[in-house]
Amino acid sequence: MHEFSISSEIVKTVLDTVEKSEGKKVLSIQLEMGELALLNTEQVTYWIQELFKGTIAEGARIKVKTIKAQLQCNSCGYKGRNISKEKDIFHHSIPLICPKCGSLEIKVEKGRECILRRIQVMK
Amino acid sequence: MKVLRSKGPEIFDIELEKDLLAKNRSLARENRKKLDSLKILAIDIMGSIGSGKTSLIKAILKELVMGKKVAVIAGDLTTTIDAERIEVEGARVIQVNTGKECHLDANVIHQAVDKMKLDGVKVLFIENVGNLICPGEFPLGAHKRLVVVSVTEGPYTIVKHPYIFREADVIVLNKIDLAKAMKIDLSQLKKDAQKVNPKVPFIKTNALRGVGISEVIHALGLRP
Repeated sequence: MHEFSISSEIVKTVLDTVEKSEGKKVLSIQLEMGELALLNTEQVTYWIQELFKGTIAEGARIKVKTIKAQLQCNSCGYKGRNISKEKDIFHHSIPLICPKCGSLEIKVEKGRECILRRIQVMK
Repeated sequence: MKVLRSKGPEIFDIELEKDLLAKNRSLARENRKKLDSLKILAIDIMGSIGSGKTSLIKAILKELVMGKKVAVIAGDLTTTIDAERIEVEGARVIQVNTGKECHLDANVIHQAVDKMKLDGVKVLFIENVGNLICPGEFPLGAHKRLVVVSVTEGPYTIVKHPYIFREADVIVLNKIDLAKAMKIDLSQLKKDAQKVNPKVPFIKTNALRGVGISEVIHALGLRP
């Protein structure tokens, strides 16, 4: 649902940055999105394309790299990815329990980002 | 930090590391610092549309009787209905209309706090936009986050939205007087909440009648 506001922020950042660097056309942008961010990649891409229309970034390629999740358990020390179990009703959400010991003292170290990493510009 | 890397005369890359979600988090930290310096306790009230966020705030204000020492930021897509409902309880109110946004963010709160007259204010309630998904991803800088869920939302709201309940410091189950009509098992909802967030208070209320409100006030640290 908040894909639109995040996409607007990305578009504004791209256009402001390119304007400052006196670029004439945006060829591509590279995003890095955490697999646990509450953002739908397809929706973000769609909104950026829509919002780019009529600007110097119209038609730019949008590349999205996924950042894998990294969890840390404060109870048992588990470090690694979330292992989603088919039967776990929360399998598609931000993990709430440690996949190893079941503790709730789990922190998401990586995987919730939404980073604008690179803009390719033509002078 | 920005590095320009030439790729021939016509094309170049601009490298940056801008985490759009981190920006909200850092603004939220700024809000918190400002509220701390003003000695104001801020409480973010989240919940579905129609769960009773405004009614809960009204009930708390009725019982607290702190008048203008309480300020409320009421967030909604449009209308000033909530601000008007709260104003009659004597608090200072500012209505924030987000237009198209499904949540408040730290920047909106930053601006609202700048605009409000906060001299003498001890407590600030921030009523988020009715939504159980997006506000969880956008901390505002409040000291406590309260989620209100009502029995009229059916039996599965907590199970389906574990993340926002995990983020909460206080969970309120509202409209308990309608449990029988809605065929809702209150103890099951409590179990669902405690599964994702066992450490925080789970309080049953009927905000319209003031039931459970003193417990909420206590849980929020507004009264010893």
